[in-house]
Amino acid sequence: MAKDIPPQTLDAVRQPIETANGLPNAHYIDPDVFDVEKQAVLCGTWAGLAVAADVPEPGDAKPIEFLGMPLLLVRDRQGQVRVFQNICRHRGMILVSEPKKIEGAIRCPYHSWCYSTSGKLVSTPHVGGPGHNTHEAIDKDLLGLIEVRSHIWFDTVFINIDGNAAPFEEVHADLIARWSDFDQPLHHGGADSTFILDVKTNWKLAVENYCESYHLPWVHPGLNSYSRLEDHYNINEKGKFSGQGTLVYRQLKGDDGTVFPDFAGLDPKWTEGGEYLTVYPNVLLGVQRDHAFVIVLEPISHEETREHVHLYYAAPETDDALRAKNSVQWRGIFEEDVFVVEGMQKGRHAPDFDGGRFSPAMDGPTHCFHDWVAGKVAVHLAAP
Amino acid sequence: MTSLKDRLLAAHDRDDRRGLIALYVEAADAAADIDAACFYLTHAYIYALETGDQAQDQLYLRLKAHERV
Repeated sequence: MAKDIPPQTLDAVRQPIETANGLPNAHYIDPDVFDVEKQAVLCGTWAGLAVAADVPEPGDAKPIEFLGMPLLLVRDRQGQVRVFQNICRHRGMILVSEPKKIEGAIRCPYHSWCYSTSGKLVSTPHVGGPGHNTHEAIDKDLLGLIEVRSHIWFDTVFINIDGNAAPFEEVHADLIARWSDFDQPLHHGGADSTFILDVKTNWKLAVENYCESYHLPWVHPGLNSYSRLEDHYNINEKGKFSGQGTLVYRQLKGDDGTVFPDFAGLDPKWTEGGEYLTVYPNVLLGVQRDHAFVIVLEPISHEETREHVHLYYAAPETDDALRAKNSVQWRGIFEEDVFVVEGMQKGRHAPDFDGGRFSPAMDGPTHCFHDWVAGKVAVHLAAP
Repeated sequence: MTSLKDRLLAAHDRDDRRGLIALYVEAADAAADIDAACFYLTHAYIYALETGDQAQDQLYLRLKAHERV
């Protein structure tokens, strides 16, 4: 049972990297531990749900099931992106079952209670009997849609499901400062700049693989010609975020030498620099001088993850062919990682695997993530 | 001419929500009493709300006049 997660295994993870073990197998293959992590790591923090570009215009609504919960992503009439529980306050009926444009109000398909896009209950037809649309027992002011705490950063919609996390800007202050150069409009590349990868792995393995550069020359040999291992550095912000950086980012060029426009006002370090960070728990971000990407990891089950990939540019219009070429390139790189994360998932069924060891020189970002997860789980289990 | 009931059913079949607004108003105007009229006006109002139709303001006022909203 999940409550039987031995504290010593979490302690072993939280040791210095030279002596630490990784998270034990149960954290990858046991549905009960998945449920514990769901509460401790995904619901108690700022988890990535979607991107704001999923609902580009006022009235756009997209139902999303996240960790089994029916949620509704909406851009309200004022342009604010909101997340609601996707249910009517009357009988719990699902309100919106497919992406759509809300022209006026959100009407429940069951008894037609209506809500504004900002969540206000605006009408309760026949609630007081046929043709009587009010009843003293039904206070519309108290029965708006249940809103999920959300925050938009880097066009990513983060949600704090339990409502108890510290404010996003506080939790991620260092990360926001680190990438302040990119605090400017990010333009989603559109339909050809998003794709989904369904991977048979626990979501944490996708994070672990993304965090480190150790695997690059082996798994992504195509990068070797210009991006050697020694051109990368680790980013280890214990308790906060981790990832890797490159010193030799090379712009993609079209056949005629076309490149994407740069983000405005970047520090010179970004001329050949790129960074690839995980916003714990489940959002993978990458920045370079001329484009960025967001990957939201959707934990489907303890052994299934859906990766939602979105590419962003510095300008609203970019060269179609170059953008398509970029999507193909990134998709190819991310697909090269699939056999690794699926292989590690299978490996986690080996009964005597102890969570493994870390290279003190190369695996700092991965250990940093394990340490963070173990810490969150330990706090959760210690709570009364 | 097809009956109002048939036109309503056809509009429901087409999922013609804006068309339903006018048809339910027509049903309300032909209703025998206030309760029946408010029943139909409610439907017209709800579809106007859902579609963002500007008729919603007038329909609200008609229901308000009978203390139904």
